[in-house]
Amino acid sequence: MIAINPGVPTLTRLRRRHGWLAGVIVLFVVLLIIRASQVPTFGGFGLRTVFAGSLALAFLAMSQAIVVISGGINMAVGALMVFTNCLCASLMKDQSLPACIGITVVGLLASVLISTLMGWITTVSGVPDIVVTLAASFIIAGAAFLVLPTPGGGIAPDLQPLLVGGFSNPVPAIILLTLVLAGIWWPFKRSRWGIATYAIGSNRSAAYLSGVNVRITRIRTYALSGLFVGFAGVVTTAFTGGGEPRAAIGSAALLTSVAAVVLGGVAISGGTGGLVGPVFAALVLGLIPPLMLGLGWDPNLAQVASGVILILVVLFGGLLQIRRRAS
Amino acid sequence: MAQELLQATGIAKQYGSVIALRNANLSIHPGESHALLGANGAGKSTFVKILTGVINSSAGQLSVDSVATCFSSPAQARQAGIASVFQDPALVSDLTVAQNLRLTGTPRAGFARALDDLGITGFDPGEQIADISLPFLRMFDLARALAHQPRLLVLDEITAALPTDLADRVFDSMRRHTAAGGSVLFISHRLEEIIEHCGRCTVFRDGRDVATFVPREGGESRIVQSMLGDSAGLVREEARRSSVSFDGVKPQLEVRSVAAGEQLADVSFAVRPGEVVAVVALEGQGQDTLFEGIAGAQKFDSGEVLIGGNPLSASHPAKAIARGVAFVPSDRAHALLPQRPISENLALPLFRRTRTWGPIPQKTVSAKVTRTVERLSIDTRAASQARRLSGGNQQKLTIGRWLTAGFDTLLLFDPTRGIDIGTKHQIYDLIRDIADEGAAVLMYTSELREVNLVADRAVVLYRGRMVAELAADVGDEALLSAAHGFTNTHSHSGKGATS
Repeated sequence: MIAINPGVPTLTRLRRRHGWLAGVIVLFVVLLIIRASQVPTFGGFGLRTVFAGSLALAFLAMSQAIVVISGGINMAVGALMVFTNCLCASLMKDQSLPACIGITVVGLLASVLISTLMGWITTVSGVPDIVVTLAASFIIAGAAFLVLPTPGGGIAPDLQPLLVGGFSNPVPAIILLTLVLAGIWWPFKRSRWGIATYAIGSNRSAAYLSGVNVRITRIRTYALSGLFVGFAGVVTTAFTGGGEPRAAIGSAALLTSVAAVVLGGVAISGGTGGLVGPVFAALVLGLIPPLMLGLGWDPNLAQVASGVILILVVLFGGLLQIRRRAS
Repeated sequence: MAQELLQATGIAKQYGSVIALRNANLSIHPGESHALLGANGAGKSTFVKILTGVINSSAGQLSVDSVATCFSSPAQARQAGIASVFQDPALVSDLTVAQNLRLTGTPRAGFARALDDLGITGFDPGEQIADISLPFLRMFDLARALAHQPRLLVLDEITAALPTDLADRVFDSMRRHTAAGGSVLFISHRLEEIIEHCGRCTVFRDGRDVATFVPREGGESRIVQSMLGDSAGLVREEARRSSVSFDGVKPQLEVRSVAAGEQLADVSFAVRPGEVVAVVALEGQGQDTLFEGIAGAQKFDSGEVLIGGNPLSASHPAKAIARGVAFVPSDRAHALLPQRPISENLALPLFRRTRTWGPIPQKTVSAKVTRTVERLSIDTRAASQARRLSGGNQQKLTIGRWLTAGFDTLLLFDPTRGIDIGTKHQIYDLIRDIADEGAAVLMYTSELREVNLVADRAVVLYRGRMVAELAADVGDEALLSAAHGFTNTHSHSGKGATS
């Protein structure tokens, strides 16, 4: 009998696999504590601002992360979020709660459909996804204006607290995030579909040789990405109480989603990471502006701070990689 | 006659204008180990890819149990009972072993049993593929294929770079598999393995099957003859050699006992100015590492390289180039700027030597480029983009750029791969011209014929070691035997030029 070369110790394995996630969570907790110490009473209201305020971004980070894991990129997540927001806001204006719940489902479906279509076009045509999704993002941003030409629209007042919590209640936002992660992402990740998603991002030819249908797996990834974008759009409607068709919102959200994916430990080359990391990364990025305000700094410099944190974290990750390879 | 398990008739494959497989026929009985043989480029791997559903054939018919089939994906082939293990394990490195098993829908228990049969313990399903060494990955891949209880097991070069103890386990499992009524299609460059472990063998040459026989009866010589055919007698080409004597001439390039990981061990030889030395080796015997190491694209673990008597410690290709060492890789895509014009491709190494600041003196550059284009007779109709040139003309660019720059040590890695015969001869002439002007040329070639046509001398690599140094005109058979590790039977002490 030949024994396989001594495997990697369990602790090392755990550290490698979940170390990054633990780091991002620690970073979030530390920033949260600093933020809490800045205000005289940090309670439900403060927590609600943190979670509900970053909720849309967290969903957007998830939508980007899953495409990046599969070895692609989705440049349309921001525009699609704005579109879903406008669609929901325009339809929900002056509607009852049950009607609004129905419209929520319509908004999610529309987002899934559009995203799936993008995935189908890019896999069938062979045009790189960065081109297809970028072009699509312009069209979708334009469509948002058609649906809702000026900021406005509305939502049933009863639906708002259900999704993002009342004025000082952070629980619904946390529950919604957890529900989507636990109810959709975790089962998916453990399914054959999920493994196939990681496989095509890690090594497309080995995945093909293993019998994975690369084309369908990619399209499925886009569909799921669209679902998460849909949540981001619906949540935005609930948080702001209306719709805002400005394209700049979408562009800014897209860039932040990529930043959250990188900060959340998903390799931009695909195949590694998860969705929980990017969610916490989005929360971290959302905490930075209020933190700077609390420190008495110009919150307009928040972008600078986000950039510095991103570079430092990625540099740190690079160092870890070099160390791992050397050992 | 018993019903064949697999019957391939008239399989052909064409990529654009390139014909990879012309007319391949092969039948496999139930319960036999069948070897597939052929020189590089004979069409073996194309055939295996068609058989396992990786690519579609352009023509021909596959039947399993006399029922015509056509696989459009590896998953379909696996369902039909054909499981394969490729040279590069088809395992996704970012996933764990268990996840890779789920990807193929492999039963965990069957996999564990197959591993147990292979005599491997300590299997941990949670281990990430990236943390497992290559030989074990091959065994995992084999166990995964066996777990599907295939009727036909396709093993493509599984024993290449596998330690002997593990290779023996592969043969044991082949025996068990055939004893249980399954069949094996075995592809290997190691003839002794085929003679010992395979009941029949089919030899491919130039995209056709040329012979099927019992390897134990035919022996090594019959296999080698079938692989080569009588192509040597067909075309009498003029061989060019160096006309000067090398006695007492100091070497331009000297390699002293270099080693690198598991790829290379203790390789030493020297190339003198005006001399062309051919490196002969089968795929994956360490030649890539040797060339990249000399060119500075990779580091040797030990040993040294001397250029003109002085050690070259090239940590970067630019340092090697500065010492006059030029490397032409086999894949032209690595060397060309496909979207840029011919002139820029030719002048690329030249830019290093012009003034660093200010504009590049276009006149001098274009004069040199024009001279090179004329000398190489490059077809300039598609001058604006290098990618629009034919493969032969592209290769002329990759060699020709060093003519414009000036150098005295040239490393050529399979310079005529995939090039038509006419252009090949132009390149042979070019190589000889370069040597006659005083450059030392080291050339790896996958075409044995070229050794006699171009080189003065051949060194043979086998499993990372230099196993022979032969005269260039020793003959294809002797070269091929040496490349297969049979050095005792054809030992020649030919050193230096034959003139």
